[in-house]
Amino acid sequence: MEIKTTETGDINVIEVAGHLDTNTSPDAESAINTLIDAGAQKVLINFAALEYISSAGLRVLLATAKKLKASGGDLKICSLNDTVQEVFDISGFSSILTVSNDQDEALASF
Amino acid sequence: MTVSASKPVILAVDDTPENLDVVKGILATDYMVKAAINGQMALKIVEKAPPDLILLDIMMPGISGYEVCEQLKANPDTRDIPVIFLTAMEQTTDEAQGFELGAADYITKPVNPPILKARVRTHLALKQSMDELQSAYAIIKKHSDRMEQELNVGHDIQMSMLPLEFPAFPERSEFSLHATLKPAREVGGDFYDFFFVDDDHLCLVVGDVSGKGVPAALFMAVSKTMIKSQATDDPSPASIITRVNDDLSADNPASMFVTLFIAIVNTRTGDFRFTNAGHNPPYILRGDKLECLDQRHGPIIGAVEGVAFREDSAALGLADTLLIFTDGVTEAMSPAEQLYSEARLEALLANAKDMPEALTGRIIDDVENYAAGAEQADDITILAYRVESQSDASEVQTLQLSAAADLKEIERVNSEFEEFALARNVPPGPVQKVCIVLDELLNNIISYGFDDDESHEISVDVAVYPDHLLVEVSDDGIPFNPFDRVGPDITLSLEEREIGGLGVLLVTEMMDDYHYQRHKNKNSVTMTLKLQD
Repeated sequence: MEIKTTETGDINVIEVAGHLDTNTSPDAESAINTLIDAGAQKVLINFAALEYISSAGLRVLLATAKKLKASGGDLKICSLNDTVQEVFDISGFSSILTVSNDQDEALASF
Repeated sequence: MTVSASKPVILAVDDTPENLDVVKGILATDYMVKAAINGQMALKIVEKAPPDLILLDIMMPGISGYEVCEQLKANPDTRDIPVIFLTAMEQTTDEAQGFELGAADYITKPVNPPILKARVRTHLALKQSMDELQSAYAIIKKHSDRMEQELNVGHDIQMSMLPLEFPAFPERSEFSLHATLKPAREVGGDFYDFFFVDDDHLCLVVGDVSGKGVPAALFMAVSKTMIKSQATDDPSPASIITRVNDDLSADNPASMFVTLFIAIVNTRTGDFRFTNAGHNPPYILRGDKLECLDQRHGPIIGAVEGVAFREDSAALGLADTLLIFTDGVTEAMSPAEQLYSEARLEALLANAKDMPEALTGRIIDDVENYAAGAEQADDITILAYRVESQSDASEVQTLQLSAAADLKEIERVNSEFEEFALARNVPPGPVQKVCIVLDELLNNIISYGFDDDESHEISVDVAVYPDHLLVEVSDDGIPFNPFDRVGPDITLSLEEREIGGLGVLLVTEMMDDYHYQRHKNKNSVTMTLKLQD
C-alpha cells in the first residue's frame, strides 16, 4: 500500500494505492490520524489506485468518518473500482459515506 | 362348538321310544340328552341348535340314518359333529358303509352302558381337541394375514422413499446414473439415494437395513432422511456417517442396524470420497479392468455410539462406472440353494460397457435367470454411476499454500495467490475478491482460532478451473463455523454502525458458494467463485 497526501484549498486529499487490508490498514489509519490531529477537517480519500479493501480497511474509514463528523468536519470518498464498489454496497458503506465517481466531483461536493 | 361349563348336548335319534329312554338313562347324568324319533326331526333340531354329538339309529322309516349322516356331512356347519351309529345290525358291510359316510364310530344294540359312556366321552374329547386345533389355526391365520399386510405396508413405505424417476438429472450431461431396487416378499429394508450437495458434488448412498416389515421400513426412512440432512452442510462421508451413527445408535430400542456405502462424487472431475460402513464392497468398472473397492471404514450403523468412521478417496476416469449394490445380488439363491456369488457378478461385469440403466437391468436379469423361480430371499438393489465427460485435468491448475498463525503471513499468501491467478488469466475482479476473502478468513483464524501457544499451520488450497475458482482454507484451531454468526445490521446510520461481522458478510456475499465443515479436528471452509466470460 502507498499513501500520498496533498492539499487542494482547505481539503486534504489522500490517495491510497494497493490494498487496504489487515496488514496495511493500521498504517493508513495512523497516516489519516496524523492529518486530523494536525487540524484537517475536510478529508477526501481517493481510491483510484486502490485494488481492494477488506473489513479492516472499512473499519478505518468508519472510525475516520465518525471522528470528523464529531469535530464538525467531513469525509468524502471517490473513484472506487468495481470490487471496492461492491464491498461498499455489501457493507452498506455506499449509503453512510459520500462516494463520488471522480476527484473533481468529490471536491465540488464539500 | 360348545366348550362351556354347561353339559355337552347329545342328540339321540331312534324310532323306538324305548331305545331313546335307555340311552337317556345311561347318559343323562353327564350330558344333556335331546331326542328325535325320525330323521327329519333330527335334521331340524341340528339346524336349530347343533349338538356336540349325535347317536344315530340306522333303520328308521322315512329318512334312514345313513341319509341323515350324509346330509350332515354335506353341510359345512354340521359336518364336524361326531356321529355314532347305533344299530342292531351286526353286519360288517353296514359298518363299512357308515364309516364311509363319515361316521365317527359304531355301537351295536343292545347298548352296553359302560361302552356307550366311554365311546361318547372319547368322541367328545376328540371333537374338543379338533375344535381347539381349528381355533388355533384361525388365530395363526389371522396373525399371518396381519404379518403379510405389515410386510406390504413396509414395502409401500420403502418404495415411496426412493427416487424412482430417471434420468434423475436430465440437465447434467457429465454423468449418467441409474438405480433399481427389486423388493423381496419377506426380509428387506434396502434403499438407495442420490442428491446434489452443491453444484458439483453428488452424494450416492446404498443401504441395507436389518429386519423386515414396517419397523425396517421406518428405520430405513429415518436413516435415509438423516443422511440427507447431514450431507447438506458436510462434504465428508466419514463425518456424515459418524454423526448419523451417533444419532441412530442413541435412540434405537429395537436394536436395528443398517449397512451403508456412501460416496460423494465431484461430477466435474470424477474424484470421489467414500465411506463403507459394514456394507459389501462396490466395484469400479474401468474398461477392461474391474476394481473392487474393498476398503472398510467402520462397523454397521446404529449398533455402537461414538464410533469415528473413516473415509478414502478414489477417482473415476472417463467412461468408468461405479457400481454400488446390496448383498441381495450376490446372495441370491438358485433352486439348488447355491449363491449367485461375487464370482458370477464379476464375470458379468468383466468387459461390461453398458450404460447404467442397461447394466443394472442386465444384472437383475442374470440374477433372475440364476434364481430360476426360487423365492427371492432379500431385496436386490443396484446403483450405477458412469462418467460421461470430464473436465480436462490440465485445465485445472492448483496452488497449495500454508501459513503460520501470524497476521503478517496474510500478505504473503495473498501476493502468491494474486501472482498465480493473474498468470493463469483470472481477471482482476475475481482475484481481488478472493484476496479480500482470504484476508477476512485468515485474520479471523489467526486472531481468534487458537487457544494455546503451540505453532499452527493454516493451509490455503486454490484450484483454477476454466469457469470457476475453488478456494479451501483449513486450520487446526478451535471448532468454529464463521457462517453461524448473525451478520451486522447494515441499515444503521454512521454513528450507530459497529464494524463486527462485516468480514463474514463480505465472504458470503462475494462468493457464489461456501461451506464449513469440521473434520478430523480441522475447520475447513470451501468456497466457489464463478468466472464470468
